[in-house]
Amino acid sequence: MAREILLSKKTEQGLRLDPRTKLLLIFIISIFVMGGTGGEAMGLIRLVLCTVPAILLLTSKQCAKAVGYIAMFSAFYAVQIYVLPHLTGILNFLVLFTTGFFCRILPSVAIAAYAVKTTTVSELISGMERIHMPKEVTIPLTVMFRFFPTVFQESEAISDAMKMRGIKLGGKKPSKILEYKLIPMITCSVKIGEELSAAAITRGLGAPVKRTNICQLKFSFADVVLILFCCFVVVWAIASPIISAGGILP
Amino acid sequence: MIDFQNVSFSYGEESSGGGIRNVNLTINTGEFVLLTGESGCGKTTITRLVNGLVPHYYEGNLEGDVLLDGKSVSDTPLYDLAAMVGSVFQNPKSQFFNVDTDSELAFACENLGYPQEDILKRIDRTVSDYHIEDLMGRSVFALSGGEKQKIACASSSVLLPGIMVLDEPSSNLDMAAIDDLRQVLSLWKKQGKTILIAEHRLYYLHDLADRVLYVKDGEIEREYTPAEFDSLSDSTRKEMGLRPFSLSKLKPANQYQAHTAKLMEFQNFCFAYKKREPESLHIPSAELPVGETIAIIGLNGAGKSTLARCICGLEKKCGLLQVDGKTLDWKARLKHCYMVMQDTSHQLFTESVTDEVLLSMDNEDETVADEILKQFDLLEYKDRHPLSLSGGQKQRVAIASAIVSNREIIVFDEPTSGLDLKHMREVARSLKSLADQGKTLLVITHDPELVMAGCSYVVHMEKGQIKESYPLDVSGSKKVLDFFRIRQ
Repeated sequence: MAREILLSKKTEQGLRLDPRTKLLLIFIISIFVMGGTGGEAMGLIRLVLCTVPAILLLTSKQCAKAVGYIAMFSAFYAVQIYVLPHLTGILNFLVLFTTGFFCRILPSVAIAAYAVKTTTVSELISGMERIHMPKEVTIPLTVMFRFFPTVFQESEAISDAMKMRGIKLGGKKPSKILEYKLIPMITCSVKIGEELSAAAITRGLGAPVKRTNICQLKFSFADVVLILFCCFVVVWAIASPIISAGGILP
Repeated sequence: MIDFQNVSFSYGEESSGGGIRNVNLTINTGEFVLLTGESGCGKTTITRLVNGLVPHYYEGNLEGDVLLDGKSVSDTPLYDLAAMVGSVFQNPKSQFFNVDTDSELAFACENLGYPQEDILKRIDRTVSDYHIEDLMGRSVFALSGGEKQKIACASSSVLLPGIMVLDEPSSNLDMAAIDDLRQVLSLWKKQGKTILIAEHRLYYLHDLADRVLYVKDGEIEREYTPAEFDSLSDSTRKEMGLRPFSLSKLKPANQYQAHTAKLMEFQNFCFAYKKREPESLHIPSAELPVGETIAIIGLNGAGKSTLARCICGLEKKCGLLQVDGKTLDWKARLKHCYMVMQDTSHQLFTESVTDEVLLSMDNEDETVADEILKQFDLLEYKDRHPLSLSGGQKQRVAIASAIVSNREIIVFDEPTSGLDLKHMREVARSLKSLADQGKTLLVITHDPELVMAGCSYVVHMEKGQIKESYPLDVSGSKKVLDFFRIRQ
C-alpha cells in the first residue's frame, strides 16, 4: 500500500475551494492565531478565524474531524476563560501554558488537515504556478509527491526482507538494523530517481518555455468570501492599533 | 528516418559494459525494428541514442552521429526531441512523474507549453485511441503494472511523435498485459510510426517486426527478415542466447515424477489486507506436494503474491498451514520459509557476499559459507559488495543465504522478469539444484518458458482462489499452454 502525502485523484466531497484560497487561509491562521500577531485588538477576529477550519471540515464532510476539533478547542478555551482565573502559582502557569499552546496550535493543525485531505497534487502545483512560484520550487515539489510514496514502498519491502532473515530488535545484529535498512534504501532511491528523471526529460521537462497546466482553477463564491475575509483581517490588524492610538484623523 | 552513421559510444570508465561500436543502421519511416541480444549487449544504448538520453543524460564518449530526419540527435536539445521521439521504459514503477493519470497524459504537452484546449483535445483523442477511459482520473499508485505500461505508452504518444522507442517494455507484464501492449504496438504500426524496440521476450512481436537485428558485444552482428529469423534452428537460437520467437514448440524439460508422498496442507487460508475489504486470498482447503518445484500462475491480482506473503509469514492472520503434518504458525513460517524477491537488492544487507551468507547462519562458519558459494558459482565474487553484482548473481546470493539458514520452502517472486535466455536458464538451473536437495519451491511467474524449463507442478490462481493444481505432465503442460494462450 502506498502512503500518499496528498491526494492523487479528486474526491467529490462537498464544497471545493481553490488551492490558492487554502494556502492563504493556512498563512493567515498561522500568523494571527498561532503567531498571535496583532495582540488584544484581534481578540474577536481571532475567535472567528478559529471557527473557519471547523466550518470547512464540515463542508468537506469530514465530520468526525470537525467534531473532534470543536470539542478539543472549546474545552481548552473554556478552561482558559473560566478555570484559569481561579488558579495560582505553578498550577496557573502549567494550565496557562497548555491551554495557550493548544488554543494556538489546534486551528492551524485543523486547517492543514483540511487542506491535505481536499487538495490534489495537480491542483496544488497548478495553484502555485498561478501565483508565479518559480519552476525551481514547483518541480522539486512534484517530484517529492511522486517520489516519497515510492520510497515508502521500497522501505516496506526491505522491512519484509529483514523480517525473513530474523533481523529485528532482540534478534540478530540489532545494532546494525539502521545500516541494513538504509543502504538498500539509498541504492533503490538513487536508481528510481535516476530512471524517473530520464523518463521526465524524454517528455520535455525543462524546456525553456512557460509550462501550461490542464488543471483548471476557478475562484468560486466561497473563495471570494474567504479571501475578502482574509483581507479584512489583515487590514484590521494594521488599522486597529493606529485607530486606538488616536489615529491619523484629528 | 533514423540514420546511425558509424556510431560508437562507451559510458564513463567505471561501467565498461553496454557500449556500442561502429554501428551503421538506417531505419526507414514506418518500419518496425526489433533489437535483440543478451543482457548488456548494447541494445538499450541504441534506443537511448535515438531518444537522446545518450549523450544528453548518460554521458560518455560518443563518436559518429545519429540523424533523425536529417537532424543530429547530439545537437538537438532533449525538449525538442521529446516532440519527435516517444519513449517507453522497462520499469513501470519509475516512469511516471505525476501521481494521477490525467496529469501524466498532459505532462509532456504542459512541459512544452501547449495551450490548454489543445492539450485537452489531444488527451481525449489518445484516451479513445488506446481505450483507457477506465484508467483516467486514477491514482498511479493504484494501477497494476500492465495498466501503468498502457498509460506510459499513451502518455508518450500524446505529442504525436513519429518515432517510438521502447526498452524492454514487457519485462514486468503478465500475459493479458502483453496482449494489450501488442495491440498498442500494432496501432502505432498502422499509424505509420517508426518503431524501435529492444526486447528479450520475442514471441509477442512475431507478426509485427519488419526486421530483427541481433546485437552482440556492442555491434549489430546480423540482420534478419522475420521469415529468416523464424527459421533459425533451436540450437542456433540457444547459442545466440535468444528466447524463442514463437512459443508453439514449447515442451516441459523434465518428465514429471512424484518425489515424495509428503504434503503441504492449507486450511481456511484466507487473507484481506484491510478489514471490511474483499479477501485477496481465499483458500478453504488445499493440498500441495512437498519437494516439488511448483509454478504459481495467474493474472495480476489473482492473489499469487498474497499467497506467497502468507506462506512466508509476512502476514500474520492467514489461517492454518501444515507441512508434513506439522503446523506452522506465522513465526515458524518466517523461519521455515524464505522469499527471493523480484528486486533482490531489497534483501541484501551486508558489505560482502561472504558476510551476506554468514549473516544467515546460526553459527557463523566460513568454510561452510565458501562451500555454498562454490555451489552457486559465487566463490570468485566472495569479497564483492552484493549490490555491485549483476541481477542474476544477486539472486543467487539471496538463494545461498536462504540455503544456509536451512529453509525448507523457498518462494521465488517473478525470478525471470526481464531476463534473457542465458539468465533464465541459470535460474532454471538453480531451481533444479534446490529441488535435488529436496527443497519445496514455489515460483510465481508470468514466464511460460520458465514454467516449462524448471517446474514440476502447477498452481493456477484466479480471484484469490486456487482454480486448479496439477502435475506438469503431458496433460498438465497442455493446460499451462492454454493458460498462456499458446497454440500448438
